[in-house]
Order: sequence, then structure tokens, then C-alpha cells
Amino acid sequence: MKTYESIKIWKDENIPSFLSDSVLINNFHDQVMLKVLEVAQSKMGDIKPPCEFTWFITGSGGRFEQGVISDQDHGIIYEFSNEENDAYFMKLGEEISYGLDWIGYPFCKGNIMSSNPIWCKSLHNWQQQIQEWMDNESWEAIRYLQIFYDARTLFGKMNYVLQLKQLIYQYQLEHPMLLRRFIANIMHLRNGIGPMGKIIVEQYGPYQGCVNLKYSAFLPYVNAIRLLSIKEGIYETSTLERMRRLIHFDYEELLRDCEDNFKLLLQYRLSLLQGEDYTDTHYIKIKKVSKEDRKIIKRIIKDGKRLHDEVIQLTLSFTRT
Amino acid sequence: MEAVVVLMDNLWVAIGAILVFFMIGGFILLEAGSTRMKNAGHIAGKTIFTAGIGTLVFWAVGYGFIYGDGNAFIGLSNFFYGDASPADGGLTPAVDFSFQVMFAIVSLTIAFGGFAERAKLSVYVIFAVLFSAFIYPVVAHWIWGGGWLAEHGKQDFAGSTVVHLTGAMAALAATIILKPRIGKYNKDGSSNNLAGHNQVYTSLGVLILWVGWFGFNGASTFGVADGFLGFVILNTQLAAAAGAIAAMFTAWAVTGKADVPTTLNGALAGLVAITASCGFVAPWAAVVIGLVGGIMVVFSMKLFDKAKLDDPIAALSVHGTVGVWGTLSNGLFALPALSTDIEWGQAGLFYGGGFEQLGVQALGVVASGAYAFVVAFIILKIMDKVMGGLRVTEEEEIMGLDISEHGSYGYPEQMALEEVKVSMAATTEGKYSTR
Repeated sequence: MKTYESIKIWKDENIPSFLSDSVLINNFHDQVMLKVLEVAQSKMGDIKPPCEFTWFITGSGGRFEQGVISDQDHGIIYEFSNEENDAYFMKLGEEISYGLDWIGYPFCKGNIMSSNPIWCKSLHNWQQQIQEWMDNESWEAIRYLQIFYDARTLFGKMNYVLQLKQLIYQYQLEHPMLLRRFIANIMHLRNGIGPMGKIIVEQYGPYQGCVNLKYSAFLPYVNAIRLLSIKEGIYETSTLERMRRLIHFDYEELLRDCEDNFKLLLQYRLSLLQGEDYTDTHYIKIKKVSKEDRKIIKRIIKDGKRLHDEVIQLTLSFTRT
Repeated sequence: MEAVVVLMDNLWVAIGAILVFFMIGGFILLEAGSTRMKNAGHIAGKTIFTAGIGTLVFWAVGYGFIYGDGNAFIGLSNFFYGDASPADGGLTPAVDFSFQVMFAIVSLTIAFGGFAERAKLSVYVIFAVLFSAFIYPVVAHWIWGGGWLAEHGKQDFAGSTVVHLTGAMAALAATIILKPRIGKYNKDGSSNNLAGHNQVYTSLGVLILWVGWFGFNGASTFGVADGFLGFVILNTQLAAAAGAIAAMFTAWAVTGKADVPTTLNGALAGLVAITASCGFVAPWAAVVIGLVGGIMVVFSMKLFDKAKLDDPIAALSVHGTVGVWGTLSNGLFALPALSTDIEWGQAGLFYGGGFEQLGVQALGVVASGAYAFVVAFIILKIMDKVMGGLRVTEEEEIMGLDISEHGSYGYPEQMALEEVKVSMAATTEGKYSTR
């Protein structure tokens, strides 16, 4: 495939056959994005990359948890900085972002894209930046660190991302305060279940009567599990994989049912949306869901809140000692 | 001693008139706060001039239609009111008139709640005249002016039916004919929250209404005898308190959030609910009546929203739905000592009065509600035809009625800023789409 257009046609033709399974669809997204990278590189003309580099994706893509549609979130780490390299990768980053948008991964509203100098740096500059983020502890810096922690190498040298994540792990060992800042950043949880035990739905707007799975269900699991992973130095990115690793750290009781719940959640997002238009993959009209499924969704939301609260308690008590 | 009591009666009802008129201030803040910035000056200002129109029409014909000598349907004397006679063992005619006119203005203001943010200014002018002449006085005559419902023993102490339901039914007719505001409903039928611009105004509006209600209900005793006004004020306070709390907890239980506008409507619901029964029921019953009103208003707002009846300030729910409940509550809770024993209807169902009073109350609600709705609907339909539509143009509605109907914004600086923001957003979007 030589053009964005041909990738888009191929993607639109094939995506329906992957709608049944979260792993399949995420593998497919990976393939599509790699092809975008290829075309983007070819658009740079005859110039070959002047040095080694890594292209990573983060956000839901990094966690291997994309639905049918999601924003683009990605960055570049290259070997070393000089005028030529800086210019080349900046241009490549812009081209990638443009290409992804073209074929259906809309620009990231938070500007987490390789076209943003913050997310396109040499390894050395990345190390400095991460150090600054950790020292700085501003709300924004903590948010960036969490986003980076979900980074997964899609192309190039794997160990760049690993090296940077190790930096975060080492730092929090010496400065438990960092964990407290992470907690503060994710502490607020939107109530998913009302006091009378009903699932809370949107009151107004185009999603009236829908439950927002992202805020009520996904985020509590994702955030809690990421926090534990930072604490224990787990560098995998998918929430399920992180859970499987964390079980070995004596969190069996804490994580009970969570893996099954999260798998179901990924599945629900895909299956309940079949036949809908794909404008947003996180809202589900609760009235259209069967009684059985409603029960399960409610349980998933409840367990998510329990996990979230317990992880915060546990991490807080750890940072106090 | 007797002369002193008469003077005190007059003084208390005159104070009541002042308190009820101050409720217009409450409505100004309530309505302006519950709607958008671009309409704030208009909503505040129109409330003042419609109060002016209501007063003059009531003076010319309204009072006569209610209290004049006539038949079971309407009164037909005492037009262009000018009785300056002094107190003769009771209220002076002027004190009585002053108190009555305020109720007519309040009812008119409630009706205009259903017009908010989309009706032409001229519609306000003409409907204010017609409502104050042909809708409110007729219902008031039936129940308070010795008309056919009064003969049945209808109990409406301060006007749940006469003032609130009548206003709300006119508001309903307007809501149906005017149709929802631009942007309220989406193509798929879901609705948007066109949030009011100032919750502090709305809260203060509710508080002023609450205080004014002590005059509305308290002075409906028409005197100070036995200090009964204190009992009425106590019931009023209890019901309002219960309504606010009930609505807040109901909203919290249903939506997960203790929504502020809903809580405020709960307080008003408690007040509307107790208006008919404040002089008939025990304090514990006032609490129950207020609680039920507060719960009802939450679900009523949801139902109207679902039915695609766009009610920006919840007038239909607060004054309509709850007005009905308040009137019916007499049929359940009226104490024998305050009804049968003083020959004002029967005791309620819970006091051995059977279904008789409940039936009378229901009849009153249906007859008054139907009359107010049908006549308002016909009047508005005719106005719609004659005036080439009741509604401002789409462009005017988007600009806001401050600028389209009055030529200046209620918030000039802020609105200028909004325009800058809109044009900036357009520029940014333009940049995005061209990469």
C-alpha cells in the first residue's frame, strides 16, 4: 500500500471481520498504524531515517484496548539529537499524525502526538523531560507520566521505552511522594451506581439514557491497575497483562474477579455496539441492554469501584510508611 | 378593642399585599437565573411591565369579573374600581383590592414562564391583557367570588388552583403552541440541558418567593383573629422545607447528583402544594404534603422533558402538577375543626370525611384547569394567526431576546465577550480542518 487512501479502503473493508474480538481488533489497529508509518516514511522522499528510533503508541492503543474508533496517541524517541535528526523526526511526526487522521484516527485533543515536540525527542532529551515531570509534580506533568507509562513500542528499538519506564520505577522507589501525586490525579471517581442501586445514565444530550462505560467502568480498572504497576515496576501495558503479572505480587485477593470483569467489559464494548454507528464507542443505551447484561454491567462497575478504592487505600498506606 | 382589631386586620392584609407583590422580585430572579444570559434583561424587564398591564386590567375589569354581582359563572359589576370607603367592621375595599390584584399578577407571571426565551414581546403585551381579563378572573370567581365551585365547598385557602394551576395551564397552552427552544431537542429525540446562567439568582429568587409566600398564605386569613395567621405561616414553612429536601434526595437517588435547580424547584413545589391546604391541615400533614410535592416535581420535570414539552423554568411541574396535588391534598388531610366545623367544605378522607371533599377538590381542578387551558389555547391560537406567529425569528432567538426585542443586552460586556469566543472558535476549527 503506497497511499493513505489505499490504507483507508483496506481498513474499512476489513474492520468488520474483527468486531467480535478485542485482541483481533487491536492487532488489526496495530497493522493499520504500521502501514501509516510506512507511507509517512515514504513521503519523506529519499531521505532515510538518520538514526535509530522508536515509534510508540499510548492511551487505549498502548494498552491494547482500542474499540472500533479512537483518537491517536503516540510519540517518537530517537537515538540522539542534532539539527538534522531533530528536523527529520519532527517532520515525520507531523506526517504520521496527518496520515492517522486521514484514515480515521482523529487528532488527539490533548495533543499527545508525534507532531508535538513534547512527544518527539531524542532519548537523552526524553530522559531529561521525564526527570523534570517527576520533579515538577504539577497536575499536567503527572498526567503526562501516566500517559507515558501506557506507551507500547509499535516500531523500532523496544528498549528505549523500557529504559524510560525504569527511570520512573526507580524514582518512585526513592520518592514515595510520587505515588501520592499519582493517586491525587486519579482519585476522583464518577459515581457509576446511584444510591438506590441503579446504573447512573446521562441525563441530557445526545447520549441521554446511556451509561458512559469509559468513566463508569473502564477508568477505575485502568487507573488502579496502572498505579499498582508503577509501584511494582511492571512494564507491560495492557490492563489484562498487568493484572496477570500483579497476581504474582500477592494481590490475588485484591484482584479477584477483575480479570474476568475486564475481559467482559472489552467484549461488551464491541458486541453491544454492533449495528450502531461508530461515532462513540463508550456509550451504551441501557434500555436496549438485556436484563442479564445489565446485571453484569452493574457488577463490573461495582467491582471496579471497589478495586479503585482499595488500591488507593493500599498505596496511600504504603507511601506513609 | 374591636376597632383596634379591625385596624390590625387591615394592616396585616396590606402587609400581605406588599409581600405578595415582592414575589414578583422573586420571579424575576428565578426566571432570569434559570434561563440564558442573552435573554436575562428581557425576562427581568417584561416581568415588570406585564405586572403593570395586569394591574390596570385587573382594576378596569378583573376585580369586577371576580367579585362583582353576577351569576355562578362570572361577576358583572364594580368595574374601574374606585371604592374609597373606610373600614366598616372589616377590611377597607381598597386593602382588599390591593391584596387581590397581587394574586392576579402572580398568576400572570406564572403563565409567562411557559413563554420564556422565544415569544415575541408583543405577545406578552396582548396576552397579559387577555389573561388578566378573561382567564384568571373567571376561575377566581368560581372559587373565591361566590361562583359555582364555592357553592360546592371547594377549599383553596390561598390559591393552589386559582393562582398556580390557572397560570400553569396557560403556560402549558403556550408551551405547546410555541414549541421547544432551538437546540433543546436533538434529531434522535434526546434532549439537551439548556442550563440557566445563574444559580445564585435562581436560589435568591426562590428565597424571596418563600418569604413572599408568608404574605400569600398568611394574609389569606384576611385578618389577625385568634392569631390563626401564625398557624398558616407554620404550615407554609414546614411544607417548603420538606419540599426542598425531598426534591434534593430524589434527584440524588435518581441521577446520582444533588442537582441545585431541582432542589430549588422542590422548595417551590412544597410552597405551591401547601397553598390550598395551609389553613386546613395539621402541621404533620403539611410536612407530608410538602414531601410529596418535592418528590413529584422531580418526576414531573422528567415527564414533561420526555413529552417534548420544553419548560425552561419548570412552571408546568412546579405550579401545574404540584398545584393539582396541593388542591387534592385537602380532600385527604383537611381537619374537621378547620372545615366541617366552620362550614367550609368537609373534612378530608383521613378524618372520616369520606370521598366527598376529595371529589369536590378534583372537580375544581378539572373544571378550572380545563377552562384555563382551553381558553388560553384558543386565545393564543388566534393571536398566532393574527400576529403571524407568536415566536421570534430563528435569528432573533439565537441572538437573544435582549438584543432583538429591546436593543441592548442585560450583560453587555459578557455578551460581547461571547461573540469574540464564538468567532475565535470558528477560526480554530478552520485551522484544524485544513490541518
